[in-house]
Amino acid sequence: MRDLKTNYFEDLQLFDNRVQVFWATVLLLGLFALPFMVKSYYLTIVNLMAVNVIVALGLNLLVGNTGQISLGHAGFVALGAYTTVFLLKMGVPILIAMAMSGVVAGLFGVLLGIPSLKLEGPYLAIATLAFGLAVTIILGRVDALGGRMGISVPKINLQWTGLKYDTSLYYFIIIITIIAVIITRNILKSRIGRAFQSIRDSDIAASAIGVNLTKYKLYSFAISAAFAGVAGSLWALYLGFINPTLFTFILSITFLAVVVLGGLGFVAGSVMGAVVMTFLNLQLENVVDIPILGSIVMKFSEMFMMPDGVSNVSWVFTGLILILVVIFEPLGLYGIWLRVKIYWKRWPF
Amino acid sequence: MIVQLLISSLVIGSIYALLALAMSITYKASEVPNFAQGEMAMVSTFITFVLLSTYNFPFYAAILGSIIFAFILGVLLEFVFLRRAKNPNPLSYIIITIGFQLMLYGLAAWKWGSEQQQINLPFSESKVIYQNDAFAVTELNLATIVIALIVLFIVYLLIQKTKLGLAMKACQQNVNAAKMNGISANFIMLVSFGISSVVGAIAGILIAPIITLDPSMMWDPLLKGFAAAVLGGMKSLWGVVLGGFLLGIIENFFGFYISIEFKSVVAFLIIVIVLYFRPSGIFDKHYVRKV
Amino acid sequence: MGYFEVQGLCKSFGGLKAVDNLTFSVEEKEIFAIIGPNGAGKSTLFNCINGLYKPERGSIKFRGKELIGMRSDQIANYGIARTFQNIELFSHMTTLDNIMLGRHKAMKSSVFSVMGLSFKKSKAAKEELVHRRKVEEIIDFLELESYRMQYVANLPYGKQKLVELGRALALEPDILLLDEPAAGLTQEEKDEMIFWIRDIRKLLGITVIFIEHNMQMVKKISDRILAINFGKKLTEGLPAEVLDHPEVIRAYLGEVVD
Repeated sequence: MRDLKTNYFEDLQLFDNRVQVFWATVLLLGLFALPFMVKSYYLTIVNLMAVNVIVALGLNLLVGNTGQISLGHAGFVALGAYTTVFLLKMGVPILIAMAMSGVVAGLFGVLLGIPSLKLEGPYLAIATLAFGLAVTIILGRVDALGGRMGISVPKINLQWTGLKYDTSLYYFIIIITIIAVIITRNILKSRIGRAFQSIRDSDIAASAIGVNLTKYKLYSFAISAAFAGVAGSLWALYLGFINPTLFTFILSITFLAVVVLGGLGFVAGSVMGAVVMTFLNLQLENVVDIPILGSIVMKFSEMFMMPDGVSNVSWVFTGLILILVVIFEPLGLYGIWLRVKIYWKRWPF
Repeated sequence: MIVQLLISSLVIGSIYALLALAMSITYKASEVPNFAQGEMAMVSTFITFVLLSTYNFPFYAAILGSIIFAFILGVLLEFVFLRRAKNPNPLSYIIITIGFQLMLYGLAAWKWGSEQQQINLPFSESKVIYQNDAFAVTELNLATIVIALIVLFIVYLLIQKTKLGLAMKACQQNVNAAKMNGISANFIMLVSFGISSVVGAIAGILIAPIITLDPSMMWDPLLKGFAAAVLGGMKSLWGVVLGGFLLGIIENFFGFYISIEFKSVVAFLIIVIVLYFRPSGIFDKHYVRKV
Repeated sequence: MGYFEVQGLCKSFGGLKAVDNLTFSVEEKEIFAIIGPNGAGKSTLFNCINGLYKPERGSIKFRGKELIGMRSDQIANYGIARTFQNIELFSHMTTLDNIMLGRHKAMKSSVFSVMGLSFKKSKAAKEELVHRRKVEEIIDFLELESYRMQYVANLPYGKQKLVELGRALALEPDILLLDEPAAGLTQEEKDEMIFWIRDIRKLLGITVIFIEHNMQMVKKISDRILAINFGKKLTEGLPAEVLDHPEVIRAYLGEVVD
């Protein structure tokens, strides 16, 4: 049975019912307790997931909710990462540096958005793709930022927490990610989010009811890019060293894959997609270590392929997953989750 | 120097033109910008390489073999993947082709990735056919341009002069009307992907001697081919060919006179600027949806 | 100076003159019908008024202000709402969200203030609730309660038309442009539509300009009618005059042969 709603605000609050509150609390406690339970290697995996969540939230807002495509998000991530490194080296505090990363990436988002206003489909795809490539090529030529060799990221001051650096960095990243999730969810529930979706569904009707297409497309590009910028900032922090070759066209595609896998247009989809895709990629890169599957793949490699190229299996699987999701479950993991939820809804109550 | 630059522009431009044409054929047929085009060409090129070096096929047999392979690969993409898409829309098609791209890339890197390979075509880069004070033309230069032009001409004949080409055009204009006139739209779609894949494969084989043969060899050329197609206007077959040559010229001249480092960037910047003024490319009309 | 005036309007596509030197005016709180055979230029006229098309010549004035040159969204915010012939709903959104979009311009929360939407005390939440109440009034008015949380793509055709009407009403416009409001409806739904259009004028005080092929409906509710063919005005006037006008009959039925 569903909790009956008694006032309109209940449609706006974060959780629909107490079951959701319960599970959210469990998740939060789990995330909080994690550093005390596992080795710091696993924290870096969660960090990577969290960073991907933030990029996916922004990209999903642009692709899933506003209906624009971007094949250049790695460029925004790069801008964010380099802005943070640059500012940290200047002695700017991390929170300000991170915010500036968002602002810089957001401004570039607007810059890219302007020529993209009239573009659709493949034309928009190529314009964003060009942008992503241009950013990495240009960054690679700036010697003050380390050029092609890359640049090390200064450690930030987290001693006041009294915890190990890795642990406090983990908490920092997790907190920012949770804030990002809440902000995205609120934007999408609001008049702004509805305006984005109206553009996606019918731009003509959107403008006929008073949505300024130019303004909201630019908003969408800006917010999406700003999220990627913040994510880039955090990514730089935990990598400790960045160089332009991290931010390739393939990275942009991977972000798109995350969003599609998770479920286009859903905040929960962005989260699920990022977590699952990150996990899968890490597993598949070391496919040989997986029990059973690893030995099958290895055997196959020896017979038909090259054993030392076996890590490339991850590309094959990523590609296959993308195709299968689009063919069989266009709503992605979120769609699967919705169906499971029907059975599960009140468990364990 | 200008003549020499022009020659190298034409060489690379003819490859871009072929790739752009390949993308345009499928885009016209299905509104799918095929991101897997480059990887399909790469795998086909590797097939040529394997047939030549491992199985010692004669050159023309190897080419024929990889053309057949490329055709099958194109048909496979359409029949096995694209046709199965639920609620097809441009984004889901783009994702499928990207997925196919990643799969092919992964498979190729798994199979051939670890070694640098060299493909041996019967046209040599060092054999100079014509030379004077200002410029030189090598055998490879000439062969690339001539083969590209022949392929372009064959595609032209195929589309303009055959019943198949007429049926392809009919499907692009109005699928339902075409079906009602007894044209199997599904079959046309298959053939379009097959032909497009073959055209792409030839571009791959032609570019292989210029760059090294490895699984990521087509990333840059494909983006340029795509860019050329967009520059010309995806739906105008002859526009995209011109776009290919134009891009080759712009790139080479910019690289020589201004900056070799930013050669790749400028190509894309020009495209963004062109699209700003002509949202559907130079040679294509921009349609606005009616209500 | 009239309330809403179209003067010498021309719009052509290539060589085809879709709207040719059209002049008419509509009074405040009038129900004004536009009739004419298919391809007469009726929808083109709406698209010009609504800012989707840029006419070559002429003027469209509403309360003395020139509309030509304004963007669609500016025109909507100036008080002209419309529906579409082939339903342009936001199909992946719920009925509620579709109608809430009609309140878009009336709401003022910025990108930054909406980030706090989930907190009851936030300005964004308060504003959202105020407008939600307005939308619920419209949902009540159009009897769409049971469809509130359904995706509009899943609604029956007649209900989709009502959602589109509701969305236009949510703008609280001064003028409502309805493009074939009764097309595709069952007889029962048509009767209801007549009732709603009358109520929209009577209760909400909105001027209604509508395009319709259903002559019974046109006769029943319109105060005045404009008949056009090939983009030109045939005649304009009271229903009885216009519907019996020989030019109009000829336009619809062709030449009468004795």
